[in-house]
Amino acid sequence: MMNHFIVLAVLLPLRTCYTTHSQQESTVFPVTYLNVSKELAFQRLLVEWDVGKSAHDAELAMSFEIQVRRTGETTTVWTEFHNVTLDKSGDPLHWMWDSDLPLECMSHSVRIRTKAEASKIWSEWSPWKTVLGLDTLNDSGPQIFPNEKIVEEGSDITLCCIGRKGHVIEEFSLYPAPHVFNHTNSQIGLLTLKNVAHQAVPHITVYCRESCTEEECYDHAVLFVGKPPNTPNDFSCETQDMRTVTCTWSQGGDTYLYGNHSPKYTLSEEFSQNPIPCTVTCSEQCSCSWDIGQQRIYNITMTVENPLGKKTAMDVFDVTHRIYPAAPFQLWEECRDTEITLYWKYQNKGFELFCQTEVVQPDGKVELHNSSDSHLHYASITLSGLQPYTEYTARVHCAAAQHFWRWSEWSEAQTIRTMEATPSGKLDIWREITQVQGGRNVTLFWKQAPGFRANGGSISYEVTWEKEEGGSKLERMSFSSACNSTRISIDNHSYRVSIMAKNDVNYSLPSVLIIPRGTEEELSGSELQEEQINGTDDGIFISWEPRHMYDSYIIDWCNFPTLQPCDLQWKRFRPNTSSALINSAAFVPGVRYNFHIYGSVGNRVSLLKKKTGYLRELPPLFDPKVEKVELTFNAVTLSWDSYPTNESQSGFVRGYHVYVSPIQEVCSLQGSKKHVLPDNSVLCKYTIENPEEKRYTVEHLLSNTKYKLAVKAYTGGGETPIVNFIYIDTPFNSNMLYLLVLLVIVPSLVAAICRWKLNWVKECCCPVIPSPNKSKVLSFKEFKNGSEKVLKISDCIPDMLAVDNKAETQELHPWSQLSSAPTEAKTDHNSSWIYPNENEERAFTHTPTHQTHTWFENFAYSSHFADESCPYQIPETLETGKPELSVVLYQPHYYFDIFNEDAASTPRETPGRKTSLRYISQTDVHCLGRRL
Amino acid sequence: MPQCPPCHSSSSPAVTKGLLILWAVPSQGGRPLPPPTLQQIQALVRHMAEDAQELFTFYEENQHLAIHHLCRTNRPPEWLRGPVLGPGGLRELRGTMARMAQALQDITRHQRDLNPPGAEILRRLASTHLKVRGLLSNLDGLFPAPSPVPGHRPPASPTAPTKIFRQKLAGCQILWSYARFMAKLSARLEARSRREKRRSHRGPRPPTRS
Repeated sequence: MMNHFIVLAVLLPLRTCYTTHSQQESTVFPVTYLNVSKELAFQRLLVEWDVGKSAHDAELAMSFEIQVRRTGETTTVWTEFHNVTLDKSGDPLHWMWDSDLPLECMSHSVRIRTKAEASKIWSEWSPWKTVLGLDTLNDSGPQIFPNEKIVEEGSDITLCCIGRKGHVIEEFSLYPAPHVFNHTNSQIGLLTLKNVAHQAVPHITVYCRESCTEEECYDHAVLFVGKPPNTPNDFSCETQDMRTVTCTWSQGGDTYLYGNHSPKYTLSEEFSQNPIPCTVTCSEQCSCSWDIGQQRIYNITMTVENPLGKKTAMDVFDVTHRIYPAAPFQLWEECRDTEITLYWKYQNKGFELFCQTEVVQPDGKVELHNSSDSHLHYASITLSGLQPYTEYTARVHCAAAQHFWRWSEWSEAQTIRTMEATPSGKLDIWREITQVQGGRNVTLFWKQAPGFRANGGSISYEVTWEKEEGGSKLERMSFSSACNSTRISIDNHSYRVSIMAKNDVNYSLPSVLIIPRGTEEELSGSELQEEQINGTDDGIFISWEPRHMYDSYIIDWCNFPTLQPCDLQWKRFRPNTSSALINSAAFVPGVRYNFHIYGSVGNRVSLLKKKTGYLRELPPLFDPKVEKVELTFNAVTLSWDSYPTNESQSGFVRGYHVYVSPIQEVCSLQGSKKHVLPDNSVLCKYTIENPEEKRYTVEHLLSNTKYKLAVKAYTGGGETPIVNFIYIDTPFNSNMLYLLVLLVIVPSLVAAICRWKLNWVKECCCPVIPSPNKSKVLSFKEFKNGSEKVLKISDCIPDMLAVDNKAETQELHPWSQLSSAPTEAKTDHNSSWIYPNENEERAFTHTPTHQTHTWFENFAYSSHFADESCPYQIPETLETGKPELSVVLYQPHYYFDIFNEDAASTPRETPGRKTSLRYISQTDVHCLGRRL
Repeated sequence: MPQCPPCHSSSSPAVTKGLLILWAVPSQGGRPLPPPTLQQIQALVRHMAEDAQELFTFYEENQHLAIHHLCRTNRPPEWLRGPVLGPGGLRELRGTMARMAQALQDITRHQRDLNPPGAEILRRLASTHLKVRGLLSNLDGLFPAPSPVPGHRPPASPTAPTKIFRQKLAGCQILWSYARFMAKLSARLEARSRREKRRSHRGPRPPTRS
């Protein structure tokens, strides 16, 4: 039973809950009230509605679906679910909707339906509630919305132009024309701008026109594109005098909004809850000042606002911690030679100041000196350790000593000169000694050494000198500050020279130089050789061997060696220095500078070394002038003896190059190298490495050939381009001429003479030889040997000479018939014949008898063999086969074939000619024979 | 020694304008300037006519009002309608110039809301305003009159627009009418000058003030 009640007790509430829940699920609370209005300033729809009181009483959690629709559009432009838990107050519900389209452009309608959260059933939609747009009005002309709206850069905006009823919008545009989405439905034109950007122009102009041209058919509007103000991040407040506070800040970037739309600044104080009574002025910076009264702690808020937004900046401060003093003024000073006491005034204030003095040295170096004021109306600082007679520039600024905020502005700068003092340091002095007759001219030079200070305005120099060993009067000369050298004449004794600087206060310490006896070369103890040195980009490097006895070294040189005076320079070096890099603004490449290195001890100097060199060697200024050209058929000798190799050159002359044009661009000349010119032509180059060798012979040239030559000197800087050449023609080779004469002209001459004296030659060289075949001797039959007739000499040794004067005999001499000369004339000649016995010589006595012929027989022509081969050989020789013996008997020196000039040759050539040698029978040519 | 720039024997237009403006600025303290001659006023008017045309052209372009020739109205404000030289001659010009000076101030004030400080349009408006004041000063010198009542200002235009575009357009229309007015005035003065020259060629006449 008990259990039964328990079950009932549980089930009953459950049923109640279920019943209630079922009722709630099925219960709807429709909208009982709906009102829609518009807030044009924000282009916002304000919707107010309510549901039944029971819902409020039940404090239901409800959902509302709200829809917004525009005129002429079939679909809703917005749907939103709005959840609210109702309270028992019964107040109506509110919702706002911001329209992207100006609400003036169209009518907007709203409807709502509801649902309790617990319920699954939505109520019916409320009727549409409409707020009318201006499109429903019959205005006097078209209207653009929005007009004069300020749009934030980067946002979107939609514009509309509402035409009058019955009119169509024909033109709706912007200038300048950005990219727009344009859609027009007869009476209303719409333009949508996305991501609006500020154009170069201050505003955008909007035009709208209906389909007519009268003035009332137009409307225009203006659109501003700008930016909200920037937050001032340098907002700060301070005071100069504890009476007025000034806040400053920068304006920030351009908002593109001007005039009435430009940013407005307001300041307010949080503690007093009052606006700050100040006027903001902006130029480079904005500022605002006000009297602070007794208030010391401030919390200032600065607000900057324009139509697109508002920004604030704050500054909380204690006025005593924000002191920015006014700049000190009225500076004055008290000077000594090494000290300045500087005074200044400042506006008083009632707070302690800490000041800083900036001192600018003459070299531009800046020093800061701190000081605290001790006087009421002025302060001072003493600056010590200064240089006499030197200008310093000083200025002062101050800050609050107790709570440093920031330095004041600098005071006006004061330029102050310290008083004069005795010159400090010594002059650096030097000399140049020139031997003259009876003594020496000494040019003294002085300059202010690095440690020297004139310490005064008007400086002068005093030069004194006297004999070192005494006994002479002290000579003295004074010079103005513009002078830095003088010349004195002294005899050959040793002198002591002293030079001092002097200002209005006193003399400096003297600088002393001993001019010893003798020349520098004498003093150096040896004849010094000049050494060559090379320059670098940084100067001319000079080195020497340091010696322990010297307390300093001096190098002197002339800046302009070719001028007079040459601007002598000198430089001192410490005792353990062994090298120096000498440079001068006057040094130029191509000029030879001479350096003397001296060692100094006890004011006496000794010449240690002489060096000479160039900052940079340049090619020679001019080419060697070839003064002499000796030409043979295969060589040419060039000489340029007068070419200088001294300091007039722009570099040390290292040697010469002789260039010769090659034959056919091939440099095969012995001892030369190929050299290609910029125009790619080729020369043969000979190198002479001794600058004093000024003569060169180019050999192995071809005779009767044109050559071009050039001689160039070269230095460490190279040589100049080849521009000028010497042109030569090698002569004809005379040996060849002689050979030609020997081989051609002489034989030709001889041949000519021979031809001219042909008969004489014939008679000399080819005496008439009777034909043995026609001799009667051969008519004997017993002598016949085959077809040949043979007469054996051994068998018929003539032992007598027979003189036959018969007519028959005459017939045996056929030449007597051929010859035009009368026979008698021939007989007048004496003939001598050689008998076989060479030792025998027979003289034939001329027989002056008419028709008497003296006839003899020549053995040389009596032989058959002689006729065939060598007519000069005697028979014995032929038999033994030794033809050389024939020379003994009869040896013609030359054989000339006058009809063939090539055949002219000496007997020495005959071996080579044996095969071609053609012996012509003297009888055959019919010119043989000689009148004896 | 620095070389001097070459001197021109005849004055250039720029030099002439500069001299005129300098001359046209009212004297401040010291010895009063002698009254200007008619020729000087004529030269100033000629220069102002050119300046007015240039200002209008620039304004119309700068304010994007060239479309549909909105500014080139045939209905100028009453005070610019003319006649440019009525029976009172140049004396009547003072009232027109006073109104124009006020109109230029209004246009400048409107433009300050639209342009950054130092904008070209503001500079040109200020320049034209200075010329108008110069002409007024010259007319005061030529026709001495009792000092105006302190604080007296010409009445504001009864139709002063409030909308920015309307202000721009009204300003543009005033500048157009002013340019035409000055052009006519300059032409009239030139014509009168020529007539007087012709008369003076015929025979001397005592100098007159219009």
